[in-house]
Amino acid sequence: MSENEELNYYILFANYTQGLLLQEILKKDGISARIAPAPRSIQGELSCGMSLLVRQEDIDGVRESIERNHAEYHEIVSLPCQIRPHRNKFC
Amino acid sequence: MIYLDNAATTMKKPQEVVDAVVHAMGSLGNAGRGVHSASLESSRTVFDTRERLAAFFHADSPKQIVFTSNSTEALNTAVKGVLNPGDHVITTMLEHNSVLRPLYELERAGVELSFVQSSRQGTVDYEDFEKEIRENTKAIVCTHGSNLTGNLVDIKRVGEIAKKHDLIFIVDASQTAGVFPIDVKDMHVDILCFTGHKGLLGPQGTGGMCVREGLVVRPLKTGGSGVQTYSKTHPVEMPTALEAGTLNGHGLAGLDAAVQYLEKKGIDEIRREEQHLMWRFYDGVKDLPGVKIYGDFDRSQERCAIVTLNIGDYDSSEVSDELSMTYEISTRPGAHCAPLMHEALGTVEQGAVRFSFSHFNTEAEIDEAVRALRELTTEE
Repeated sequence: MSENEELNYYILFANYTQGLLLQEILKKDGISARIAPAPRSIQGELSCGMSLLVRQEDIDGVRESIERNHAEYHEIVSLPCQIRPHRNKFC
Repeated sequence: MIYLDNAATTMKKPQEVVDAVVHAMGSLGNAGRGVHSASLESSRTVFDTRERLAAFFHADSPKQIVFTSNSTEALNTAVKGVLNPGDHVITTMLEHNSVLRPLYELERAGVELSFVQSSRQGTVDYEDFEKEIRENTKAIVCTHGSNLTGNLVDIKRVGEIAKKHDLIFIVDASQTAGVFPIDVKDMHVDILCFTGHKGLLGPQGTGGMCVREGLVVRPLKTGGSGVQTYSKTHPVEMPTALEAGTLNGHGLAGLDAAVQYLEKKGIDEIRREEQHLMWRFYDGVKDLPGVKIYGDFDRSQERCAIVTLNIGDYDSSEVSDELSMTYEISTRPGAHCAPLMHEALGTVEQGAVRFSFSHFNTEAEIDEAVRALRELTTEE
């Protein structure tokens, strides 16, 4: 991976309900998070097909918000963008 | 938005369906619970839907049509209702988890399970069904059409094998009901399981089973039936035997309107339009660089209106996300609840992007989807 390679940060969940709940929590905390399909390469057997895509600079805030709100999630994973590295749009 | 996820649910419904549900929401009582006018209107609505579906699938009688909330509930009722520990059941690698998971559950309880294998194209060898038959084989459970590749299974041919060996034949028609003709008698289907919200164009939360007369199926649920209140056991008469609790009358009113729409337009015409759109898409993308299409696209055979593909080694979720965010095209990436089919296709890691079509789609939408894939496959 090159130094300048852009990373996507995906929050993975056991089900859609966990994901939608966390998106509401993050919205209240002023953190943008877009619902995106969870990439197959990081989904594993335990997470569902939806993920929340968040900005790299928001990751610390996301973790803090999750902890403070006791939000459920499966994992946070970073992944280099495969298609159009500048395509990301956030809510 | 261009909606190409019709194999998951048909989003666009005939206006008659919408109108019927809205009307029902304001007028139906509880079906089979009393004889006042609101209850009777609900009872008649449910009965009309049974009659219409019985004729649609060539069932013995409307009483053999049982309503469930979807195919999954129908399939659970069917397989758990006829199989017992010590029995052997044959199924295929083409199946959805709505078949697989109940069967795995039964396997843990002592039912023996065999799989008819799939080729890399997602097809089955019909002789394999017969090869898997054992002394204790009780049933064959088989999809009519793969939700991943769109390949059809020749249900009549499998039904003849089941009949020859006196096996119960359970068919998952989730992807085909409402689009392909189904005659349960001619195809020797003992239990047909269908959902209302896909090709039948009805509301979500509707579905059912068409059970051969005389076949006793153990109920999955027991409870309120509106009849035989003082009996400690659930009624055994069909269809009450397999229905407990208030039915989804509002949804069934929509399903009834949907089947009327299908009768009026004709499923042959619907199928012709869907096939035209599917082949237009297939021809537009099959030679794009890096595109790999899964399934059997032999033009001499019919198939569900599904084209599933990958682009190079791109993660299918990222491709689907790009199609959604940049082109507003809705597709389904990932595993599609069909784990064994993905294993057979070699797509467990990458998943695949499924495009599935409705006769409500237009040629312009198909061309836009082809253009989007052309851009994605040729971008630097």
